[in-house]
Amino acid sequence: MIKNGIVVALLFLACFKSNSQIKTDSLSLTFKVKFNQLPAAFGKPFITSNKDTIVLETFRCYISNIEIQYADQSVFKQNNSYHLLDLENPNSLVIPITTKSDKVIRKVTFNIGIDSITNTSGALSGDLDPVKGMYWAWQSGYINMKMEGKSSSCKTRKNEFQFHIGGYLQPYYAMRKMEFLYDKKTTQLNIAIDLNDFFTNIKLSETNSIMIPGKQAMQLANYSTQMFHLE
Amino acid sequence: MLVCLAFSNQFTTPIYLEVPKNWPKPHYDFSKNPLTEEGFQLGRNLFYDPIISRDNTISCASCHLQQTGFTHVDHDLSHGIEGRIGTRNSLALVNLAWSKDFMWDGGVNNLEMQPINPITNPLEMDEKLEHVVAKLQRSEKYKALFTSAFGDEKVTSQRLLKALAQFTVMLKSSNSKYDKVMRKEAVFTKEEQNGYELFKANCASCHTEPLFSSDKFENNGLKPDAVLKDGGRIKITKNNKDSLRFKVPTLRNIELTYPYMHDGSIKNLAMVLFHYTEDIYQSPTLSKQLVKKMELNEQEKGNLLLFLRTLTDEEFIRNPRFQYPR
Repeated sequence: MIKNGIVVALLFLACFKSNSQIKTDSLSLTFKVKFNQLPAAFGKPFITSNKDTIVLETFRCYISNIEIQYADQSVFKQNNSYHLLDLENPNSLVIPITTKSDKVIRKVTFNIGIDSITNTSGALSGDLDPVKGMYWAWQSGYINMKMEGKSSSCKTRKNEFQFHIGGYLQPYYAMRKMEFLYDKKTTQLNIAIDLNDFFTNIKLSETNSIMIPGKQAMQLANYSTQMFHLE
Repeated sequence: MLVCLAFSNQFTTPIYLEVPKNWPKPHYDFSKNPLTEEGFQLGRNLFYDPIISRDNTISCASCHLQQTGFTHVDHDLSHGIEGRIGTRNSLALVNLAWSKDFMWDGGVNNLEMQPINPITNPLEMDEKLEHVVAKLQRSEKYKALFTSAFGDEKVTSQRLLKALAQFTVMLKSSNSKYDKVMRKEAVFTKEEQNGYELFKANCASCHTEPLFSSDKFENNGLKPDAVLKDGGRIKITKNNKDSLRFKVPTLRNIELTYPYMHDGSIKNLAMVLFHYTEDIYQSPTLSKQLVKKMELNEQEKGNLLLFLRTLTDEEFIRNPRFQYPR
């Protein structure tokens, strides 16, 4: 009985501690979804560098295996580091990482998408729960990035474009590793995701619906890396 | 987390999948889903419950009946809600613990993820996983079943999928006459023995003992259906070498699981033997074993069929633990 009491008390303390960490003492990675340097929003038309007018309806993306390398050679690797960014849910764009410190951050690395081991690990939970709409049924595997919307350039049903980028089987392994040199002290790391830098690469009249792993998904995954900028 | 585990262990009964002697090690990773009697029973209830389809009319068992080796007989292509018809013949659910991947094209990489396919396929159950979770969460019956399996009534897709896997991974067939002969508890008739020798010479390179499948993908010389235009494995790998390749199905309980092939195009076993001896469709990816014509006279075919019937496992198709839960 006493033992149980202690366990419960410890659990309470643990919850308390982690909560307070998120609020005040943690270094966080904050993603800012943009379109040509302006905040991206649903329903608002944007014009791409290729003169395609687009209205965004979905932007979701997995960020995984976040790692911070400090100038003193120490490395922080986040455990169970799988995060679904969803423009619909602003909270999802802020990822608390570790306790603040006054160490100089040399480098920040993470993956866009989900690694192959996790892709074959069976039923998972949290951000990796297949109910999140980021999992393919007919061909097992996570969708690393989902971008959907409308553009008059798309001669498709309802002028829709749909990009579901993923794939974990070689040679079409679509996860991409990102690495940013920093060399500063900070309490908040900001990363911009500028959608225009993706759409610059494509003509929506020609490329508007890629929803399976393969060559084209690999190409789009390459383009997607161009959207990420350390601020 | 540890506290939760301790609690759940207190109230659940561990069960194990017994691996038959001389069988390979199962592929399924039990360490990530330790089997319990309560988890198995939850999975069994889910397997037989049409609640997982959009209009609550179709369950897993609709296309995977125990009496016929956990597949759907007489239908060449699987059926879905509202009379919709799928694009492939339903596979027999048997000895799944030993499979590396699932479906005719191997598109599913883990037994736990398999149910998402029929649940969400518009031609099958046409439902959304989150709806299934919500429907189960509202059900008093499932609140009780999830509580006994997982320690609390919370329904998640992970729990649902793990429980279903606990049931389907236990569908083991290893007590056919063939198995008894191998264990020296029975003997083949002269004809069956002759059939077994012919089987080893002509079929066993793909239908490898003791699972009667290599678990690989092969083009078995079936002429592609002009309407379905199903390329099989190539859909997953995008590799031309995989065109017209499909998963080698097990031959266990083969007598019961007609019609045959991924498109259900062959109605009986005699026709299957006709296919392999007389009717091979030539294409670049044809399995090398089939390039040379398979020669079997009528008596040999008869013996081969008698051997194939020794793969029927009456105990498996009547096992009360696999039946509709009452």
